[in-house]
Amino acid sequence: MAIQGLTMIGESINDSVPSTKAMFEAGDIPGILELARMQDAGGATYIDVNVGARSPEFMADLVVQVQGVTTKALSIDTPDPAIARAGLSAFQPDRAAGKAPVLNSITPAREEMWELYAVRRFKPILLATELLEAGKLVPARTADQTYQAAKDLVKAARTHYPGIPNDDLIIDPGIAPIAGDTEGNLNRLLAAIEKIYNDPDLAGVHMSVGLSNFTVMLPSKRKDGTPVKSALESAFLTIAMPLGLDMIIGSVKRNYQLLPDDHPAMQCLRAVLQADGFDALMQVRHFYAG
Amino acid sequence: MSDYSQLYDAIVNGDHRLAAEVTKSALEANTDPSELIAKYMIPAMNEVGNRFACNEYFVPELLIAARAMKASLELLTPLLAAGGVQRVGRVVIGTVKGDLHDIGKNLVASMLEGAGFEVIDLGVDVPPDKFVDTAREKEGTIVAMSALLTTTMVNMKAVVDRLQSAGLRDKVRVMVGGAPLTPQFAEQIGADGYSENATEAVALARRLVSEFATTA
Repeated sequence: MAIQGLTMIGESINDSVPSTKAMFEAGDIPGILELARMQDAGGATYIDVNVGARSPEFMADLVVQVQGVTTKALSIDTPDPAIARAGLSAFQPDRAAGKAPVLNSITPAREEMWELYAVRRFKPILLATELLEAGKLVPARTADQTYQAAKDLVKAARTHYPGIPNDDLIIDPGIAPIAGDTEGNLNRLLAAIEKIYNDPDLAGVHMSVGLSNFTVMLPSKRKDGTPVKSALESAFLTIAMPLGLDMIIGSVKRNYQLLPDDHPAMQCLRAVLQADGFDALMQVRHFYAG
Repeated sequence: MSDYSQLYDAIVNGDHRLAAEVTKSALEANTDPSELIAKYMIPAMNEVGNRFACNEYFVPELLIAARAMKASLELLTPLLAAGGVQRVGRVVIGTVKGDLHDIGKNLVASMLEGAGFEVIDLGVDVPPDKFVDTAREKEGTIVAMSALLTTTMVNMKAVVDRLQSAGLRDKVRVMVGGAPLTPQFAEQIGADGYSENATEAVALARRLVSEFATTA
């Protein structure tokens, strides 16, 4: 992974990754720490730490241990405020050259997360996939709703941390698996990224997606034996980075690269963007099944 | 009965236009709808499931095949209902309270519909009582719940508890799924089953229906 201008949060220490879950269940902490070392060496800027439904104490202990093997800052990944608090409290900025950790993530439904600024400064991932409309939480289905969700979350960040620089904020506009995208989600996402990027008030705010989610449920290889996932993810980056995407939660083992326009994966995504409903799925299928 | 194996092929290959066309001509020739389902359509979806299980098919093929199945079923359902033929089963599905994630839930709903279940999709952020009230409408209903967050999966238990206190627990079956879940969690909260993906969910729903038929 070495794309200029792209920051990566290494995704491997996550309870929803089956091989990592198995390590957690077996109590294989040395194995988990090896994942941290491997991602550090592989070019991750942050190391994500997601312990699933385990206890706050478990998160705190793991943060200390992971910081024992890497000087990269961590991304404390949980929807649970108690686990987030434990992770942020245990994190030692001195061990990460003074860098602040990422908190993955805050949504309009997770107001308590803002109280964690009392613990320490962190860089929140603002998950702009849901928003409050007339007091009710609804999924962001359009680019305008995603943009509005991002604006609302940035406003909340500024309220809870007056003077927070835009550089501390990371907006996640939400990426959906292309294997099931019959509703034009990719179009929504790219349009939302562009809107956020073009808003002068949001200048310098980072934008990140969980890139591996884009290709889940797809085969690993095309009919001709060439890779499916790294190609489609690279094609996504090639299209999304010029629009403003500058961060991913991803894998150091994936060979991300910017692709030429005539690459089959680029042609596939361009075709998906032009297609409606199930025709988009047919384009994806055409890419891997020929 | 004439040979409508084209219908089988249309579903396996995900050709929804052909599936509807063959179904129409079969009905014009007075073919028994339940025979079409039993002889061609269910075997076709089984084949799709098999291909998925051995990594020959992936989620796009599942969705495309389920759409073809649905195109055919839509033509047959009114006739089946008129003839008093029961659906495979009834599933009330939704993402639990506090959770707005619906990709997995929608996938499972499509596959269940494709497998011939009557599917009532309650959407996302579904309050426990909504599951209970919709399940109450018919005995033998399967309540299928999805959650993507460790903080919301606990809300599944509230639904199981409400079913219990409403005296409905023995009259329905409960199945659960979602990224942070495990079979152990499903057992802990008193669900009847857990499935890891959409095709497993169909197999599980079928098993729950057959269990129900033998124990109810």
